[in-house]
Amino acid sequence: MKRIAVIGTIYKYLSHVQHIADRFLVGYPHEGAWHRPDMKVVSLYIDQKPEGDLSSQRAAEFGFSVYPTIAEALRCGGEKLAVDAVLIIAEHGDYPRNEKGQILYPRYEFFKACTEVFEKDGRAVPIYNDKHLSWSFEKAKWMVAESKRLKFPMLAGSSLPVTWRLPELELPLGCEIEEALMVGNGGSDPMDYHALEAMQCMIERRKRGETGVRSVEMIEGAAVWKAGADGRWSNQLLQSALSRSDTPQGYSFEDGRTQDLATNGQLPKLVKNPAAYFITHNDGLKTTLLMLTGAVQDFNFAARIKGAGVKSCQFLLTPVPNVTYSACLVNNIEHMFETGRAAYPVERTLLVSGMLESCLTSRLQGSKVLETPHLSVRYQAPKVSVTPA
Amino acid sequence: MQAFRNISRRELLGAAGIASTGLAQAQTRSSRPKIAAVSTTFFKYSHTQHIVDRFLEGYGWNGEFHHPPMDLVSLYVDQVGSRDLSRDRARRFPGMKIYPTISETLTLGTGKLAVDGVVVVGEHGDYQRNEMGQTQYPRYQFFQEIFKVFRASGRAVPIFNDKHLSWKWDWAKEIYDTSKELKFPLMAGSSLPVTWRTPSVEMPRDARCSEALCVCYGGVDSYDFHGLETIQCMVERRKGGETGVKSVTAYRGDAFWKAYGESVWPHDLMEAALCRSHTLTPAREGFNDILPTMADMQRLVKDPVAYRYEHNDGLKSTMLLMSGLVKDFNFAARLDSGIFSTQMYLPMPDGRTTLATFFSPLVNGMEQMFLTGKATYPVERTLLTTGLTEAGVKSLFLKGARVETPHLGISYRATKESTFQRS
Repeated sequence: MKRIAVIGTIYKYLSHVQHIADRFLVGYPHEGAWHRPDMKVVSLYIDQKPEGDLSSQRAAEFGFSVYPTIAEALRCGGEKLAVDAVLIIAEHGDYPRNEKGQILYPRYEFFKACTEVFEKDGRAVPIYNDKHLSWSFEKAKWMVAESKRLKFPMLAGSSLPVTWRLPELELPLGCEIEEALMVGNGGSDPMDYHALEAMQCMIERRKRGETGVRSVEMIEGAAVWKAGADGRWSNQLLQSALSRSDTPQGYSFEDGRTQDLATNGQLPKLVKNPAAYFITHNDGLKTTLLMLTGAVQDFNFAARIKGAGVKSCQFLLTPVPNVTYSACLVNNIEHMFETGRAAYPVERTLLVSGMLESCLTSRLQGSKVLETPHLSVRYQAPKVSVTPA
Repeated sequence: MQAFRNISRRELLGAAGIASTGLAQAQTRSSRPKIAAVSTTFFKYSHTQHIVDRFLEGYGWNGEFHHPPMDLVSLYVDQVGSRDLSRDRARRFPGMKIYPTISETLTLGTGKLAVDGVVVVGEHGDYQRNEMGQTQYPRYQFFQEIFKVFRASGRAVPIFNDKHLSWKWDWAKEIYDTSKELKFPLMAGSSLPVTWRTPSVEMPRDARCSEALCVCYGGVDSYDFHGLETIQCMVERRKGGETGVKSVTAYRGDAFWKAYGESVWPHDLMEAALCRSHTLTPAREGFNDILPTMADMQRLVKDPVAYRYEHNDGLKSTMLLMSGLVKDFNFAARLDSGIFSTQMYLPMPDGRTTLATFFSPLVNGMEQMFLTGKATYPVERTLLTTGLTEAGVKSLFLKGARVETPHLGISYRATKESTFQRS
């Protein structure tokens, strides 16, 4: 039975640590059965213990120890690495923000503490890193390089790429994408990251695969609507993405009516602070993330595919508290721990980490177009899709 | 209406001169069909609002904002309450007129049937409940008024009926028989058979199926019907097709837990269905998603209800209302190939969503019927679930006595093509 160490920021009800680690403790729904991983959480490091902390309660009930340092957690209090896999979940908790608005979660620091143990003890084990790798692309890049140097499998990212899609859209591998657009909502930098990664898991399937990002630009406010009017993002793709939404606000909220938010003129009234993230890839593909908080409360994607027209879907975020989409994610984590192979490349998350950072830098610099030669992250999409069954 | 019943159908049809060919074939079609809606009441998130607004405003469909290629030209609302939206809609859509009677709604005041399709929404509103707890929605009475116009006009047009055909089996059967007699397409039912599924899977056609089950929530003579439609839209695809139902037994309260303890319905299918839920109430504080034990379920579910029924070919089905445990509709069946399960996904506008988008495939199915003159899926499904709902309610009323259902010997075949939302 594989032994797992959990390295987290906080362990409170509905925190990511609780969502993810608990599924290794009590099992989770998977393909119509209650699946209990054949693995055991043996150690936990938790960085902050605010009110509502569950860590000692869980440790007592499920028979593992909470250690004061990451190294001790990985060695289970002994001399040598004593686990077969590590979960790094650094989301939630009280951490400062930088001038770009990024929350400085200590993912890099947690990861580095793990790889130091790997190096000293002469053995490396798989690591899953929840969400983006770091707020800093340089740090993220180092993390991926370190996993290659020490030759251990690594998986990272959001639940959105692996949750149910409505409809169950998967773009054909090798398709030619003319343009793509994602609609998201919520705050930066947690929710824009999820939206960018959802879009990335779709567009990486295009002809010749991902080639990296050449430049980015992020704009906010009325400039977003003007950019739409100027054709910098496609209203047709917006209409298609919004046609997948279950949560249009305004009229639908007031009296239940259906509405075409892409054409009825309501968006500027509903969205107080729109944001557009423009991303130009090295192969020329242009993609846009529109954060339309106030207009919708779900995540919807649309793309124009050469020869196939516009395709769109919703990435289904199932209700709180079950958030069953995180069970889909845990299944992919478990699969990597079991087989030593990641079902999708960590480079996806590396690139998205960098895109997000550069977009937020662009915003800080007054919506400057930023050339991003450092984001030439090349990779191929997985041949086998990982949408839930 | 009573006077009408005294005239024999033959006389009536003979008078209209179209007895042998059927009324529907005598219709003429304008380029954009005209649709009438006959409803009980119209307020935010009522079924009428969900359905009528999709005709008037359009809706997201297949990745576009779709405007139905037809015009909803007339509306009858039986009860206009303080939260009424029908007047607002009539103001904003002058092409739709509100008429004071069903007859005028169908004739547009011309004295003759003047529409190409009718949508009947007899759900919500203030109607009496009988001693068995059934809300006496006036669907049958609405149909009687509609049939009167069809007969007087010598023409019949397709009808969609929201939910079950009637709370009373005899009336449902009469509606069904009249559709055959007047030869017009009739469609009915719930959104459950047509909405998204997570995962998006279809019951394999011609599968051998020995047991089927739905774990869902809601009240008796209400969501039980949706649970029954959830099961029926799947099991009708089994080998040999639907053969009808022999008997129904209902369990409630202590009798439910006793039956559960005795494995009257299979626990493995129940667990499979629960493992498709997105809304499992956490059985333990501090956990967000945990499989409940029987003791947990007994604590969480205050008023459990089961309808267990046997089909004529031996299939056994169980509909479980477990309010307090789940807030979604989950299906599981035992096939030769193993357990098959999915969720019929309803993005319910209960705070998390603003649109009941499961009405979109329902309205799209109606549109197809109004355009093609063919029911998109068989009304026999809903005829059967109408009878099952009544039989379940009756068994509960009789304190769990087994109710024999020889009248539910309804045989039909499912459509070859799937009709749930997949694109």
